[in-house]
Amino acid sequence: MESVIRQDNIEDCIKSINNADILVGIPSYNNAKTIGHVVRAVQGGFAKYFPEKKTVLVNSDGGSTDGTMDVVQDATIDSLQSILLSHKVNPFVKITTPYRGIPGKGSAFRRIFEIADSLQVKACAVVDSDLRSITPEWIELLIKPVLEGGFDYVAPLYQRHKYDGTITNSIIYPLTRALYGKRVRQPIGGDFGFSGRLAKFYLSENVWETDVARYGIDIWMTTTAIANNFKVCQSYLGAKIHDPKDPGADLSAMLYQVVGSAFDLMETYSDIWKNIKGSEPVPTFGFRYDVGLEPVSVNIERMIDRFCLGVQELGFVWKDVLPGSLFDFFRDLTAVSLENYAIPDEAWVDTIYCFTIAAHKKTLNREHLLRSLTPLYIGRVASFIMETKDSTASEVEHKIETLCTVFENKKKALLNDWGWKGVEE
Amino acid sequence: MGLEGGRGMNIIERIMVEPFERFYEKLLVFLPNLITSLILLVIGVLLGIFVKWIFHRIFRTMNLDVLSQRSGMRDALSRSGFREPLSIILSRILKWLTIITFIIVAMQNLSIPTVEHLIDRMFLYLPNIFIAALILILGYILGNFFGRAAIIASVNAGITRAGFIGKAIKATVFLLSCTMALEQLGIGKETIIIAFAIVFGGVVFAFSIAFGFGGKDIAKNYLRKKMKEPEGGDDEIDHL
Repeated sequence: MESVIRQDNIEDCIKSINNADILVGIPSYNNAKTIGHVVRAVQGGFAKYFPEKKTVLVNSDGGSTDGTMDVVQDATIDSLQSILLSHKVNPFVKITTPYRGIPGKGSAFRRIFEIADSLQVKACAVVDSDLRSITPEWIELLIKPVLEGGFDYVAPLYQRHKYDGTITNSIIYPLTRALYGKRVRQPIGGDFGFSGRLAKFYLSENVWETDVARYGIDIWMTTTAIANNFKVCQSYLGAKIHDPKDPGADLSAMLYQVVGSAFDLMETYSDIWKNIKGSEPVPTFGFRYDVGLEPVSVNIERMIDRFCLGVQELGFVWKDVLPGSLFDFFRDLTAVSLENYAIPDEAWVDTIYCFTIAAHKKTLNREHLLRSLTPLYIGRVASFIMETKDSTASEVEHKIETLCTVFENKKKALLNDWGWKGVEE
Repeated sequence: MGLEGGRGMNIIERIMVEPFERFYEKLLVFLPNLITSLILLVIGVLLGIFVKWIFHRIFRTMNLDVLSQRSGMRDALSRSGFREPLSIILSRILKWLTIITFIIVAMQNLSIPTVEHLIDRMFLYLPNIFIAALILILGYILGNFFGRAAIIASVNAGITRAGFIGKAIKATVFLLSCTMALEQLGIGKETIIIAFAIVFGGVVFAFSIAFGFGGKDIAKNYLRKKMKEPEGGDDEIDHL
């Protein structure tokens, strides 16, 4: 049913495999607990939806010490009948390989792209190794739009709790949409499908010694695909449930990495986004259904305290970044009662655009600038949670849509401040 | 009587007139030097103003301010409290270098041995002043940088005394650079190092005792009130 290639004879075996139709990559680092399920889901996806195709699973590992690679090698669906399969299935190849270079998800992806390129695959997908909700259908939904629909890039579309994905909802999605004109709802989802052609293009880009190799790969893949006019779509995958986040994970570091990567791409593709007005939806595949999501607990008072602390202490940092009126607004907000606390869309969009301009003009040390955004972001999240306390998922989606419109409407001001005066006229 | 009168006149001449004559002769020699020096001083000041004006224009033509902004130098200067553009700062430095050079030339022109000796010593000491100034400037820039990094990190960690922590770190880095600068200048070399070590060590020791032993309960309450998160569960938001 399957053959496993270990790290010591990979290059020879890739030559012996010669080519493949589909490749699914799983980057990993100490994910022994969860990766087995992901491997079985991929195997199920291959067997169920692509039984006649030549398929390869690649685990690109960052030097795990918990036996992740052994789990990948051992994980298998014992009986395909358990997933109601009776047809003949082509064997699939499982490759486990450590990646080289800068430690990070980007370097792991680079190894996957290299193998995909060597095998001249037609379609690829990458999925996270900590997923608990992945099913064989994910593989179909990420691969088929490429194989049968002629798309080059398939972004994921998840059903998420209304309070989850707040960096995506409040910054990355609206900003990417306003800049590049495509409504890709989860630009940093982590699970993507793409064509062999796009994998080759990714490999040819000179970014593998930069922060893209460390942490900025998700937004880089999405933006690169859109900005370079590859055919983009999205597939509805259902709920995204993964291993609980590391409680020690630093929010400001997360913001620095994600927002910093988006700002870097703004520099790279400024010639492209300056000419784009408005946005358009991208084709969406998959059957939409509601999912019961686990409740998410939040501490609004603490969030507002953090925001107030930021306004109280970081005024000297923000005075070079935000206009006086906006800073005065935030300062006044620290004195209002909880019921009246709100950061409206306009103020939030102005804030993000001011930070993009400050990063572009190097007004401040980059890391200080991006990390100082944290209290404002927490303040905005608190405001959003209060505003959507009693809202349904579709009402929340509508509010995000309204925010996106404000991002798009204020793009002209961004262009002026960036130095592209008169571009839109 | 006549002879005695002549001797008396000689004595008066020697005591009163000759010193004045010598002074007058020296003044005749010194006065042109003084006037030349004053003229040099005036020329130096005027040339300094001109140098500042011309270099400011040259730097602006070279787009130095834009370059400094792009390279992040403007950011570093602004962090250090220099709000003016780099072109103005550099042209001002050149102005003062010109004026100081002319002051030194003017003083040497006076041909006063003591002044000449002082200038010689000053020239030998000058590298120390330059290095000390450099240490102070670097200390100031680094102090601001680390102070701001500390405030941002503390705010993001929810520490309510973030401002105090930032200022303390800024002051510590600058104090350290002051100590190094004074050591470079050779002023109270060992005393300063010992004083710094005593003060710094003392502060750390005092905090250790206060928080670890003496004021255990106060420190406990203080930390609970000032540094600990308010009571309540952790947020479970997945931000990405």
